[in-house]
Amino acid sequence: MSLNIYGQQLDSRLLIGSALYSSPEIMKKAILASGSQVVTLSLKRQNPNENSGAKIWQYIQETVAEVDGHLLPNTAGCKSAKETITLAKMSRELFNTNWIKLEVIGDDYNLQPDPIELLTASEALIKDGFKVLPYCTDDLVLCQRLWDLGCEVIMPWASPIGTGKGIMNPYNLETIRLRLPQATLIVDAGIGKPSDACMAMELGYDGVLLNSAVALADNAVSMAKAFSLAIQSGELGYVAGIMQERQTAQPSTPTLDTPFWHQPGTNS
Amino acid sequence: MIELHINGQQFSFDSTDVETLEQALSVYFENKQQSTFALALNGEFVGKEAYKNTRISTGDSIDIMFPIQGG
Repeated sequence: MSLNIYGQQLDSRLLIGSALYSSPEIMKKAILASGSQVVTLSLKRQNPNENSGAKIWQYIQETVAEVDGHLLPNTAGCKSAKETITLAKMSRELFNTNWIKLEVIGDDYNLQPDPIELLTASEALIKDGFKVLPYCTDDLVLCQRLWDLGCEVIMPWASPIGTGKGIMNPYNLETIRLRLPQATLIVDAGIGKPSDACMAMELGYDGVLLNSAVALADNAVSMAKAFSLAIQSGELGYVAGIMQERQTAQPSTPTLDTPFWHQPGTNS
Repeated sequence: MIELHINGQQFSFDSTDVETLEQALSVYFENKQQSTFALALNGEFVGKEAYKNTRISTGDSIDIMFPIQGG
């Protein structure tokens, strides 16, 4: 089973960020250990004469080439549709991709996406030929509106960016899955533990995008592998068909022919 | 003189040398071969092919963006 992102079939269902690692070398090793074929990155104003970002850019390019992967630029830091559209166009030129992870932040405290600006930016960019991957809250109606606009991939959060709180509202994510069966749904942001990613997959999600949970681990390379396995496990479990939860206990050992001294009402 | 805001900082250039975006970048960049960037003029994206013919005026704001790691 492969992950479908705008017609691109990918073996790995893990999308990984390139930020917050202790060194570019660790970043590269972690990304390779994750098996991911989609790496997020960003754009920032810098003094060109310092050229401080050149090394990390070189590492990201090398890593993505090694896994025959894809760059997924984001619009981190944007707070309006206008800023977001401008940054998306800059990313398309520089990274030579029409994929864009659309982030429009509406609140500085929890970095919650602004749904109004997100819809405006998504509509304009889709008309301009972009393949939009919107980062959004776990709001069903917002996700439906994004789907109606033409977002084939939708990325609701598990919880606020960088918190590691895991999935705050499984019901919301599950409902989005049920109501948008054709969409490629990726849980983005808030994942802390491998079990969080496994849970997202068990809810029927198509993939998981994360960064901090790997980059801030004591051993980022091992954690990248742990997430890869957790996502594979969760997907396998979902596809296998998870049993229905029951309200009462049911013995798993057959009771037929139970030795008489275990029968209720008898004394041993 | 022409005054430009580049990445939030103010710069003054001789207006006879700097009339287009391409000329402004040529003066601003120490490394003339620098190509790993994208640019916005007054908040609007300008593609590389348009630098040569995009005229600039005093007070214009130029944002020059470079790749960085991101999540």
